[in-house]
Amino acid sequence: MTRRPVFRDGVLRDNPVAVMLVGLCPAAAVTSRVIDAAWMSVGLFFVLLLTRLCQAILHALRAPDLSEPPAPGAPPQTSVFPLRPRWLGSLLLSSCFTAAFELILLAFAPSESASLGIYVPLLAVNCLVLERFQRSGPEDEPESPVRVIARSLREAAGLGAGFAICLVAISLVREILGSGTITLFAAGSFGGTIEVGGLSSVPVRALTYGGGGLLCLGYLAGFARLLGRRKRRSGATEAGRS
Amino acid sequence: MSLLGIILTFTLVDNIVLSRLLGICPCVSAPSDMRGTAAAAAATSLLMSLSALAGWALQTFLLEPLGLGFLRTPVFVLCVACIAGFLDLLARRAAPRLLRAARVPLAGVVFNCAALGVVLIAARGGFSALESLAVGFAAGAGFFVVLSLLTAIRERLDVESVPEWLQGLPLHLISAGLLAFAFLAFDRAFLSRLLRGW
Amino acid sequence: MADVHQDTRPASLVVSPAPHVTGSASSARLSWSVAFCLLPAAAWGVFLFGVPALGVLGVAVAASLAAELLAGLAARRVTIGDGSAIVTGLLVGMLMPPGVPLYVPAAASGFGIIVAKQSFGGLGRNWMNPALAGVVVALLSWSDGMSRWLPVRSAAPTVTAVPPLEALRNALTAGAPRGGALEMLRASGYPWSGMDSSVVGWVNTHVLSLFGWHLPGGCFDLLVGNISGTIGGTSVPLLLLGAALLLSRRVIRWQLPVTYLAIFCLAAQVFGGLPAGGGWFVGNMLFQVFSGGGLVLGAFFMATDPVTSPLTRTGQLAYGLCLGVLTFFLRTFGSLGDGVPLAILLGNCLSPLIDRFTRPAFPTQRKAAPG
Repeated sequence: MTRRPVFRDGVLRDNPVAVMLVGLCPAAAVTSRVIDAAWMSVGLFFVLLLTRLCQAILHALRAPDLSEPPAPGAPPQTSVFPLRPRWLGSLLLSSCFTAAFELILLAFAPSESASLGIYVPLLAVNCLVLERFQRSGPEDEPESPVRVIARSLREAAGLGAGFAICLVAISLVREILGSGTITLFAAGSFGGTIEVGGLSSVPVRALTYGGGGLLCLGYLAGFARLLGRRKRRSGATEAGRS
Repeated sequence: MSLLGIILTFTLVDNIVLSRLLGICPCVSAPSDMRGTAAAAAATSLLMSLSALAGWALQTFLLEPLGLGFLRTPVFVLCVACIAGFLDLLARRAAPRLLRAARVPLAGVVFNCAALGVVLIAARGGFSALESLAVGFAAGAGFFVVLSLLTAIRERLDVESVPEWLQGLPLHLISAGLLAFAFLAFDRAFLSRLLRGW
Repeated sequence: MADVHQDTRPASLVVSPAPHVTGSASSARLSWSVAFCLLPAAAWGVFLFGVPALGVLGVAVAASLAAELLAGLAARRVTIGDGSAIVTGLLVGMLMPPGVPLYVPAAASGFGIIVAKQSFGGLGRNWMNPALAGVVVALLSWSDGMSRWLPVRSAAPTVTAVPPLEALRNALTAGAPRGGALEMLRASGYPWSGMDSSVVGWVNTHVLSLFGWHLPGGCFDLLVGNISGTIGGTSVPLLLLGAALLLSRRVIRWQLPVTYLAIFCLAAQVFGGLPAGGGWFVGNMLFQVFSGGGLVLGAFFMATDPVTSPLTRTGQLAYGLCLGVLTFFLRTFGSLGDGVPLAILLGNCLSPLIDRFTRPAFPTQRKAAPG
């Protein structure tokens, strides 16, 4: 039995934004400046990693209700009452970690917290959405708790990295074309903003509006499909998954 | 802002999908028939209105008096999830055909950011109870407008032969982007002139 | 010639199944005749504003052709011969002010062709008019470049050139005393040409004084289109000439543009006075139509685009109604341009929905199996 490269899958084959097309709201909404996209990626990485870690630990502690991974072919809702304990558990975990990240952001980068606005709390929902792509381990052999935890972490890191790559790519395109600048972290004498010659006086302002984000997202998804086809990856599915 | 102003703002000017970019996923990937669209949009609209009201109540009577502002996110997430769950339960008993037409379980609506986003927008805007309800309703109406426009556009795209690498979701996203550009015709200056004259 | 077009567009019903391309020969002829009918108004713009206008038109058409060629090469299906790219480029150029920096028409044409048209598979499959998409993106991106107006040929070079609608809007913003459109323009010192004052004066003293009537200044300039504005949006008579040619060759049909103009005029006449503090029925619909050719250009050359407008006759009437109302609101209260491009763009967005509700139901077409 071969081990799936869960980290690489998260970045390439199951890339949440470009291939799976989930979590599109932040990818389109907070990518008008590079630094916004960077903080958002950090946030998702933080929340996703900690949520998965807790879930894996709970699984290792044999708390079946909270950690039972979804059956591969089962419909998403089966019980009479739609809020299953497991689902509520991950809801609580991710929203609490999101609240923690909000506080961290407020403490270390208050201006960034203001400019990201309502999109930071929405990270909780994004992590929930990504949960649908959680894979169960190999069924034929029982896994040791350490292996489970390590696999969860690798998977979460892969998804987070895939998300970050897409967000930063979109925000680079949108900010360079749309504002003619690249906004990064301010450090020392460096004010945090690089001006791109020629474009900063006559930028394509339209790209900084919401529509520009949607356009970039659409073309990114198209290019990802082109690349995926070129690599002849059969597993990369697209429409209807989100 | 007057109630009419709030409703116009969140339906046209500050559209939840095209301006805030929340709830894109259902707009570009929901089933593309009109009945399903109407059912899904009506359910989402109801969920948004109720959640915005509940969010206002929680904010005013629970979080602010107790100084628990930092717990806002978990409280709101749970609140939206519970309302969605109860609406789903209700719909299963009362209108199973509506639920089947919508084709997504109502609780799944929480999976898109729209409902939670509306609650957060309403809570941050400092609205009153009635105004929060209006925000929720108007956001739902805006969602309905955009969802039906995009569904009609997608219905057309699905029967055309389009470039293969953009077929499906990428082209739906590009369509949504073009729609968003067109909706920029309704900006804040437009609204203020419309409501107050020149 | 005429019977060829009758074949592709039967008079009674224009419903057709999804691929709306009517064959390359016929659609090429359609495009070429539209381009030909646009020429008089474009030539008038070049005559009024000189070399800059010619440059803008040239760059817009060249960029449009280049984008079409590039996209065609990338998709291995070069469709540059169907002439639609020339129409797009010409429309983009005609919707630009003559003093616009040249990268704006180039970018607008490129955006329109590549994003709004070729991404959707080319002519006949785009749901949004490429020229309008490009112009609106330019309006959103380079708003100051898009308001670099030039004075007309006969005016003194020191005159600050502003189109009449824009001047009226500026006067309203500045809080000038409210009144009719032409009175407000006169009060704000709008520079009508010398020819206008002599012609209007002659008509007033020799003809209209017999009946006790009086024409305000500016009527002649507005009528012949001797005003600053977009390159193609100055001369209403020449645009109407082109439209008449298209109508006579049955390239377009009259129902949609006439509904559009009628609804707009009705709204402008009845409600047009209200925002400026007047009463009901004091709007000036003639001023609204003649204050720039944008409306006529839009109604006859852009709203009638067969690809982006509804198919059935009922649908087209509903479309005209929506366009008229939207144009009135966006022109009266909006802040981008004269409202026509945005109104037609929003109409394009509505058009599939209108189609959805007005097309006859085919029981076999219930579901098109989406992904």
